[in-house]
Amino acid sequence: MNLKHTTAGLALAAGLSALGGAAAAQDCTTKIGAVLPTSVDWGRPIAETAQFAVDQVNAAGGAAGCQIEMVLRDTQVDPKVGVDAAKALVDLEGVKVLLGAVSSGVSMPILTSVTVPAGVMQMSCCSSSTAFTTLAEEGKDNDLWFRTFATTGVQSAMGAKVAQDQGYGSVAVLYKNDDWGQDMARLIAADLEAVGVEVTGTVAINDAQPSYRAEVTEALGGNPDALYLALYPVEGTSVVREWLSLGGTQNMIVANALKSDEFRENVGMQYLGNVLGTDTASPRSESADAFRAAYQERFGSEPNGPGLANSYDATMIALLAMEAAGPDADGAAIAAAVPRVTDPEGTPVPADTAGFEMAKGILAEGGTVLYQGATGNVRFDANGDVSAPAVIWAFTEDGVDEREYLSLDDVDAFIAGLK
Amino acid sequence: MIGLISYLVFFTTVASILAIAVMGLNLHWGFTGLFNGGVVASFGAGAYATLILGGTPQAGHLGGYGWPWPLALAGGLVAAGVLAWIVGVLTLRLRRDYLAIATFGVAVTFENVMRNAQGLAGGAQGVRGFERPLQDVIGTGLSYNVFFLAVTLAALILTYVVLERLVRSPFGRLLRAIREDEEAARALGKSPTRVRLTSFVFGSVVIGLAGGLYGTFYAFVSPQDVLPILTFQIWAMLIVGGAGNNRGAVAGTFLIWGAWTASGWALARFAPVEAQLYTGSVQFILIGLVIVGMLLWRPEGLFPERLAPASKTADDRGKLEPGSVT
Repeated sequence: MNLKHTTAGLALAAGLSALGGAAAAQDCTTKIGAVLPTSVDWGRPIAETAQFAVDQVNAAGGAAGCQIEMVLRDTQVDPKVGVDAAKALVDLEGVKVLLGAVSSGVSMPILTSVTVPAGVMQMSCCSSSTAFTTLAEEGKDNDLWFRTFATTGVQSAMGAKVAQDQGYGSVAVLYKNDDWGQDMARLIAADLEAVGVEVTGTVAINDAQPSYRAEVTEALGGNPDALYLALYPVEGTSVVREWLSLGGTQNMIVANALKSDEFRENVGMQYLGNVLGTDTASPRSESADAFRAAYQERFGSEPNGPGLANSYDATMIALLAMEAAGPDADGAAIAAAVPRVTDPEGTPVPADTAGFEMAKGILAEGGTVLYQGATGNVRFDANGDVSAPAVIWAFTEDGVDEREYLSLDDVDAFIAGLK
Repeated sequence: MIGLISYLVFFTTVASILAIAVMGLNLHWGFTGLFNGGVVASFGAGAYATLILGGTPQAGHLGGYGWPWPLALAGGLVAAGVLAWIVGVLTLRLRRDYLAIATFGVAVTFENVMRNAQGLAGGAQGVRGFERPLQDVIGTGLSYNVFFLAVTLAALILTYVVLERLVRSPFGRLLRAIREDEEAARALGKSPTRVRLTSFVFGSVVIGLAGGLYGTFYAFVSPQDVLPILTFQIWAMLIVGGAGNNRGAVAGTFLIWGAWTASGWALARFAPVEAQLYTGSVQFILIGLVIVGMLLWRPEGLFPERLAPASKTADDRGKLEPGSVT
């Protein structure tokens, strides 16, 4: 009711009274907000994937008794613009759930100055900064913050495992110079040392440089056995081209951000035979296959690209939590319902329309479900962080191929062994 | 309705903060003719210093001195001023586009230092852990935003009054004289270098004030806040509003920032679902068109500079003109 009043009031205020009161009780619409960098090349697919999840839920009859409308706003990767968009979604559209943002530098001010004060649940697909964990430990997030991007710890530990398994004696690290990359570089250096691999150098890669020759030369100087890359596809392509042209080794370990067709095609498969990548894993269940199949049907390509599976899971979990919290729930109630849909003891549900329908039935009877998503059996800890099973993959002619799967227990055991 | 009020309070706060920065730039460009391409450096210095001085202790980087907010904010102004003085001494001999390139470089350097110096300001993660002043008394909701809006408006009015007095004073006339013809001003026995430096530092302190308020309002600042886009936005606001007119500077800020946010809102609301993904790009085009249109059809801005009334100027001139003495 509240929502509809806000909508009607707004429409009037904007001089567009025709829009008000159009929604009848039967086919009501609940709005959720999304603030994502749609004006950036890799941001748009993340938004598309979120909308895809919303469409699937609507095909299952919507969440909490209503159809879901995702109101999407662009952040332009500008904190001012992102915070303003979030504030407008919360105040003007009355959303109780906010998806986003991607950059931690945008998500953080949204969290501290919009969602926490307003009591709105915020679920990010891709913000990786360790600052969120600290904030949650201080209790400043009011338990409204979640992210489906597994902590960088899993990635770096798996990177170290690959180096160890391949018998590399020394590794140079090249990282994207942002909060994610800086975290990755710090963690991977520590993890590599822990498994006895020498780190010959860590070099920052700034975005959008025409050439990375200086950086690559610096990394080459240590004459490493292998290269570790925590980069995005555009910079990753330039860096690897220069690296190879200067005679660098083809032994590479890459983080999940390079699991992209763009990178594979632009560098060329003939140079990528010795590349091993890490990622958080798809679960050993039908749901992951269902996601891949459904994604392929919708977009005509494999879901390869930074944050796509995470974005899908963020949206699905948010909507499942809305369903579990029931109609007219506020942000805190929805956030509190997240454990009911990610319960390890709950009934497993796949990530698609049928799965959502199934979850609806179980939740209506007061049961709990275990959402099996595109990134695995997502489980949040007290700080809203996820850990996940991991996979080690390699590039092939037409995509990527899985080499090794590590269950959540394997991952935890390996990380414990590093300490 | 409460949502609309809440949003308008928020919008006005952000716009007012930006308006202060635009007035600072107006002192540089509008009154003194200094082509400052590094607005974000002053803005960032104000924001970073305020948060570092006034924040709670954070592992891994400088800061957490927990100074009372007015002192921390003053520290932000000092930081912006000191930075501007150093930059000014080094670069103000440059003219027009050369000065713009040099100051732009300073701003990019500032962003890169903040991004990489993890021990200084948290690197790419930025500075957080700042307790907004009086938040525990007022609470975090709408009431706090109303309180902070009052603080911001007070700062905006204060800045406006001080700058208006300044530019109407003899010093203000000197600024305009240097802007129009530096040689002539020198011939009258003035020292353009010193006056330019004074104007540069003072304008930068004003921009630093905006940065300090911005950091306080979001309780967070990161290198993403000091990207060159902010310089561009502030320039757009000044050009549209009218360089050389403080009222224009404020109006231009509200107009451009309003257009920036409203276009995003309107596109999200009314564009067809298939087009939703492209609204971000469409928005950039729209904003660009507004600025190009302004430059083509009203290059002096919405509120062109108004020189002092003719009679008063005539009086002043009457006293000074050699002819009248004889």
